[in-house]
Amino acid sequence: MLVDQAFRRASILLASVSFIAVVLGTSLPEWLAVLTGSALILSLLRTSDSNAIRRIAAHARLSTTTSNLLVLLGFFVFWVDSLWISREFLSAGIRFLLILMVIKLGNLQVTRDYLYLNVISLGAMLAAASLTADLWYLPIFVTYLLTGVWALLLFQVAKHSESIGASVIGAQLQPETAESFNRVTSRFFWLANGLAAATFGLTFVIFFAMPRVGTGFYQKGYGESIRTSGFSNTVNLGSIGPIKRDQSIVMRVELPDQTAHGVGRLYLRGIAFDRYDGRSWENQLSHRRVMTETSPGMFSLNWSQAKGVPHLGSFLRQKILLEPLDTPVLFAAPFAETIGGRLPSVLADLTGTLYLPFPGSTRLEYSVVSRSNPVLPVDLQSQPIMYTAPFLRHFVQLPAQSDRIAALAQGVVQNKRNTYEQAVAIQDYLSRNYRYSLDVPLAEQANPIEEFLFNRKTGYCEHYATAMVIMLRTLGIPARLITGFLATEWNEYGNYYVVRQRDAHAWVELHLPHSGWIMMDPTPPSEESVGQTASAWQAWERILDHARLRWNHIVVQYSEADQLALVRGLQTSGAAVRIRAWDSFSGFFDQLVAVMGKAAENLNRSALTLLAEALILVLTGLCLFLGLGLKRSWKGGLCSRNVSRDEPAGTHLYKQMIMDLASRGILKPVAMGPLEFLSLIQKEWNNISPLVTVITELYCRERFGQRPLTLEEYRSGQSTLHQLLALELSGPTRKTCAPEKETGAGNGI
Amino acid sequence: MPTQIRTVARRLTRHRSTHFTPEGILFLLFTLAVGVAAINTGNNLFYLLLAMMLSLIVISGIVAGYCLYQLEFHRHLPDLLFAHEPVTAALVVKNRKSKWPAYSLRFFDVSDGKDLDRGLAIGHLPPCTSRLLSYPLVSPRRGRLRLDGVRVATSFPFGLFLKTAYYPLNAAALVCPAIKPLPDGILQDLLAAGQERAVYRRGYGSDLYNLRLYHAGDDSRAIHWVTTARTSKLIVRETEAEDQRRAAIHLSLLAPDSHETAFEDAVTFTASLLYHLAIRGYQLKLTAGSFHSSFGQGDRHLLDLLCALALCERCAPDAQSPPHAAPLADPQDGDTGALIVVRPWRGAAISVAHDAACLIDAETFIGASHAC
Repeated sequence: MLVDQAFRRASILLASVSFIAVVLGTSLPEWLAVLTGSALILSLLRTSDSNAIRRIAAHARLSTTTSNLLVLLGFFVFWVDSLWISREFLSAGIRFLLILMVIKLGNLQVTRDYLYLNVISLGAMLAAASLTADLWYLPIFVTYLLTGVWALLLFQVAKHSESIGASVIGAQLQPETAESFNRVTSRFFWLANGLAAATFGLTFVIFFAMPRVGTGFYQKGYGESIRTSGFSNTVNLGSIGPIKRDQSIVMRVELPDQTAHGVGRLYLRGIAFDRYDGRSWENQLSHRRVMTETSPGMFSLNWSQAKGVPHLGSFLRQKILLEPLDTPVLFAAPFAETIGGRLPSVLADLTGTLYLPFPGSTRLEYSVVSRSNPVLPVDLQSQPIMYTAPFLRHFVQLPAQSDRIAALAQGVVQNKRNTYEQAVAIQDYLSRNYRYSLDVPLAEQANPIEEFLFNRKTGYCEHYATAMVIMLRTLGIPARLITGFLATEWNEYGNYYVVRQRDAHAWVELHLPHSGWIMMDPTPPSEESVGQTASAWQAWERILDHARLRWNHIVVQYSEADQLALVRGLQTSGAAVRIRAWDSFSGFFDQLVAVMGKAAENLNRSALTLLAEALILVLTGLCLFLGLGLKRSWKGGLCSRNVSRDEPAGTHLYKQMIMDLASRGILKPVAMGPLEFLSLIQKEWNNISPLVTVITELYCRERFGQRPLTLEEYRSGQSTLHQLLALELSGPTRKTCAPEKETGAGNGI
Repeated sequence: MPTQIRTVARRLTRHRSTHFTPEGILFLLFTLAVGVAAINTGNNLFYLLLAMMLSLIVISGIVAGYCLYQLEFHRHLPDLLFAHEPVTAALVVKNRKSKWPAYSLRFFDVSDGKDLDRGLAIGHLPPCTSRLLSYPLVSPRRGRLRLDGVRVATSFPFGLFLKTAYYPLNAAALVCPAIKPLPDGILQDLLAAGQERAVYRRGYGSDLYNLRLYHAGDDSRAIHWVTTARTSKLIVRETEAEDQRRAAIHLSLLAPDSHETAFEDAVTFTASLLYHLAIRGYQLKLTAGSFHSSFGQGDRHLLDLLCALALCERCAPDAQSPPHAAPLADPQDGDTGALIVVRPWRGAAISVAHDAACLIDAETFIGASHAC
């Protein structure tokens, strides 16, 4: 392939990569996506070797005047779009960018047009970077880098050839100058890929070493936040149900101090509700106050210490990566005591619910230390409970209802000696005697809890939890409803919980005088549980999710704090660094081996066989590809020059012409020179003789005049050759010019 | 100390330099824009793109620098050149790197601090290989041609920067004045004028000088048999000495600044005259300023005269120390033959009588008549 042709193709591929990035990053209008895709395909076809395809694609070319007018029109539409239609500058800008790309693709003529196209594609990549932080950006980025290096390299080589041609007009061009690097050879292939690999490596070095100035917190996230429900101050009963079918990931939770074998169900507490009016819950203690910042980025919530409660529960450290949600609530295992991360400030209300000042528009990473409240033995004794009136007003409040629920509660807890046993009895009663289902229209009922308890006996977490809170309150036990998430999906490859919308949950907290708030969950376990056998697809999904998390940790959330830690690490002794590097290296391989082992365990036998076969095929193909490439480079670099690949352009054209003529029956004898052959053609086949004359002249000038063809001449020669191919012979066909059957394509030239 | 630093800096920048190409400037502007966006938003993907663009710049600099590193040059120039006449010069480039090739190299001759583009380029120079680049070298003026070195440039690999390196490589050659055809008839007129004043004497030659009686010791091959038969006396033939055909050429160096072109034309005319007389077998003598040759013949003598013309310099009439003018006629030379004075400026005084010399003024160079 000629360098110029390769440059044009690489530029169009670069534009295609950036277009894919934009398409994946935002929801484009369908007509625009189709239009841009079609323009890219047409442009690629225009660079095709096939004359017919190129001729068809050439019909869609825009003139310079038309394209300029279209750019002006597009600019006008962009302002109209950004000011009146979408009223969003960024999205209107992206649409304008793609319109520009389409116009430029329709008017690609000279090298400068391709450079403009490359500039537009860079803009599109920037736009895609502002739209997403997902893992798919990594392969797109790598492809963009590779294609970009190719395009730049080809541009340089083409420009070098052009500048030499321009500087030696009228002078004899050095033969070496023209023949070298006119075509994309195997040497060029390895050179370009080697440069791309070096650029890629250096990119990551610079990326990690570059000082970070911006915090990254205030960046505008273009992607919409995940819509969730159940996490506002007022929640209607049944609002969690619809999101229980949503598979979207809302957060990932790592437990740094827990091993994979020690994990179970993890409750992530969201918001607490104290008042129930029969159809909806309300948090009346929502007054928020700013948490104390004990150290930069660390906030403390010392409720227990303030109240003089001794530290008896176990601590749980969590590292949470929260997706952008439409609620400012921060989730954590009960009961959070300290929270840290790149957070501007953290607020907390009187129920221990944590909030951001405003809903985050980007992914948020924070760590939490929580402490569970164990049930103290003193609370297991039957003692009279004394609470203050304001406390009881909030947590023993009951809606207007019949006495049936109180009677039921009394019946369930009879013979139970203390508050805790009564609560456990109610929890057991609900979880054993009621059926879990999401398909219950209880929200439409006038009194949904009575309907749940006495008629349908079917519901989901909200109904279970609300029923338990009401039953406890009828017995005078302070209780409140908690909404949050119940994490059950454990990613064994990355050792973290994947929390989805479907994991939204509601449970109960009851208050014991000495132990404090104790968590209870009357909802029976759902069908999804930890340790469930995963299908092959789910295993791959988890591996992919793990990669997403790593990408997020390493690249997207990389901050000045990480940089500082890196610098401090480098400042320690060289031995320590070496040991750490070795540990990381070996750890990475250990982790890789462990991941592969687990993946193999999760895949069934047939899937494993299929996977192994695919892997063998891919490896074989890769080996063949590398082997062929090395062989070519060996031959090209150390042995004799490969004439067929590095032959001059004029010879290439002439060979093609000779072969075409031979296929039509006009055979050139080996002993016949090109001018003799031309004179023969002029005598016998008059209609093709002008075309043959052009190519022969180009060939002779290059071969014997030592003057290589310029790019324009080669293109003109190609065009002539295509005309010749399309032309019908008018003279005698199937004629052999001499007794020899050999044509000059092999050895006569 | 600052002077030393400046000297070192100048030395460093003299041998290496980097310039942005138009595409490089555009790329740099985009890099700055992406950098501003990255700092403003803190978006790490912007930082990633910024790192990619910076790494392209760094790789570009490293690779280009390495391409220009460890090259070795040898130049081959002819010893003698003529102005406006192309000769083949050669430049041998060797890549002394043991592993890495050099790509997209362009070469410029450096003379008097100026880069002269000869259209020399190499797309790919493998390691430990050399390549001979030959090119037509045309010197536009006579004198000493000095080439200070070779500047090698590359925009490899991405065309963002043009990096150049300077390799000192002194070479010098003498450029003689151009040899041109003389105006029509002028040579015949000059030769005829010389004939009138010539004094014939016998010697070796081909033309008849005299017939006389044979003396003992005469070469029997010189006997003129026809006359001997007619007179019945042994008569021998004497020949006219060929070295009798002599021409002394004087080039006046006096010319004001306004006559610079005329002076150069006079030098070119003198060189052409010497050449044409030399090929006719004349013994030639040249005086130009302080240069004074003796009569001589042959290629070596002609080249000496042409080299003297290559280096002669115009002398302004009001100069403080005009060059010492050699005498036009040297008594030791005996017969001077034809005396031709080439005068680029009419104001220049001639120390011989005008009737004794053939005076050629500036008008003659362009084909007008001359005074003899």
